[in-house]
Amino acid sequence: MTVKEAVELLKKGLSYARRTKCKEALAYYNQALALDPNNPEGWYLRASLLIDAGKNREALSDCEKAIALNQNYSDAWSKKSLALYNLERYEDALLASTRASTLNGNDISAWYLKGVCLDELGRSDEAQEAYGKSLELEIILDMKSEKNKVGR
Amino acid sequence: MKTEMPLSKPIRRFINHTEVTLDTEISLLRQPDAEPGGTLVDVYTYEIDRNVIIFPAQYVGLLKDFVIAKHCTNLLIKGAAVKKGEYHVCSYTSDSVYRGMRQIYLDALKDESGKKKKLPVQKLIQMLFLLFTHFNDDINELPWNAIINASVYHRMPKIRKTQLYHVMKESKNDMDEMMDQEEIIPRRYFVLNKAMFYSRDMFLAKTLPADELMPVLNIPQMKKFNHLEVKEMLTTRWTQTAWYQSKFFGDNMLEIMEKPLSLVNWNAEPTLDHYYELYKIGVNLSNHLLSYMTMKDWFVWESPQHLLEAHENNGAYEKDAVKKIFGDLVTDTWGDS
Repeated sequence: MTVKEAVELLKKGLSYARRTKCKEALAYYNQALALDPNNPEGWYLRASLLIDAGKNREALSDCEKAIALNQNYSDAWSKKSLALYNLERYEDALLASTRASTLNGNDISAWYLKGVCLDELGRSDEAQEAYGKSLELEIILDMKSEKNKVGR
Repeated sequence: MKTEMPLSKPIRRFINHTEVTLDTEISLLRQPDAEPGGTLVDVYTYEIDRNVIIFPAQYVGLLKDFVIAKHCTNLLIKGAAVKKGEYHVCSYTSDSVYRGMRQIYLDALKDESGKKKKLPVQKLIQMLFLLFTHFNDDINELPWNAIINASVYHRMPKIRKTQLYHVMKESKNDMDEMMDQEEIIPRRYFVLNKAMFYSRDMFLAKTLPADELMPVLNIPQMKKFNHLEVKEMLTTRWTQTAWYQSKFFGDNMLEIMEKPLSLVNWNAEPTLDHYYELYKIGVNLSNHLLSYMTMKDWFVWESPQHLLEAHENNGAYEKDAVKKIFGDLVTDTWGDS
């Protein structure tokens, strides 16, 4: 029962987060995690919110908890990379974004972050490759959404 | 600038450069329903304490970077104008609206006389102000778009592929404009609208350079003009079509554009003076295009606040102009609904 309740609370939190009502979203996420700390999605969602609030250290800790529960959770790796990038830990961020893009080859943010980190580390040629991949995916996504708009 | 979103190195540097050069602050804002090309809300136009660049939420990578680069360049041009002289845009007054609408009406009458299916009078009257404001928007956007794109191309070589995608997308959307009203609006204005975009695209295709941008390759109706010399065109029945005329006018506009823009040193040191120079070129270019389209007395160069006020008063301006053109033929209730 608590697992189900926790999922419902996460859904509520997410709907608040989408409307940028961060305080309310955080309250729901906290409740959900208190009920079910074994749900990696809860840690991941809270990490996303914390990054937006500039709390990168706390976000990093949440990402690590999510990853500990599911090693193949690509979104959590991607978010971890962003937290590390914001903390200017570029080498670590590069490792995390590489892991994220390996787990999910279609993750635009992961490829872009990889490019940004490589750029920061002075590996410009490799950065261009990662940017190229991210752009390719972004264009495909953008063309799809344009097509949907026309279809509507 | 303070942001938690990742930005590529050249873009971060460019934002910093813009902020330092203009002594201003820039915020970045993601919005799900933002315009595909993003929006700049700047301190030189609105009474706000910092500039905001808004872009679509789904742009998380280089697409976002290009939008930022474009709007930073725009901001530099505006800011340089404010700091070095005066920043003006093409605005309108009650009198200039009258002159514009009257001209459109006269042209519409000429077109209507030759049409089998006449446009209902009420629709024709409504179209006058719509077309007028359309050209106001276009002249405030198009010459600057060409200048900004050329500048970004030279300053940001690492995002050229992204730029090409954006420009192609924009070009296709712009060319779709007015398409469903081709039969309704006076031919002259359909042609001028298409010619403006044609010249911009041709200029960018030469500057970027990218053959894909060429309207003669990109727009189905214009494909038939590819590889055709004017002489050949004159011998075909196409000389009477809006598309042939668009190409003809567009080539002339391209010449108008290329003259001042070919003299710009795009790689000059990115100082306030450089961006002020770009502003002055943009104003001159806009004036030349307006002269060419015989629309010079439709608009006035005024502050951006003047234009915002004009937008607020546009209902009254339209009503006054309709009254002046049609007198008692149109009832007093026009525009009240």
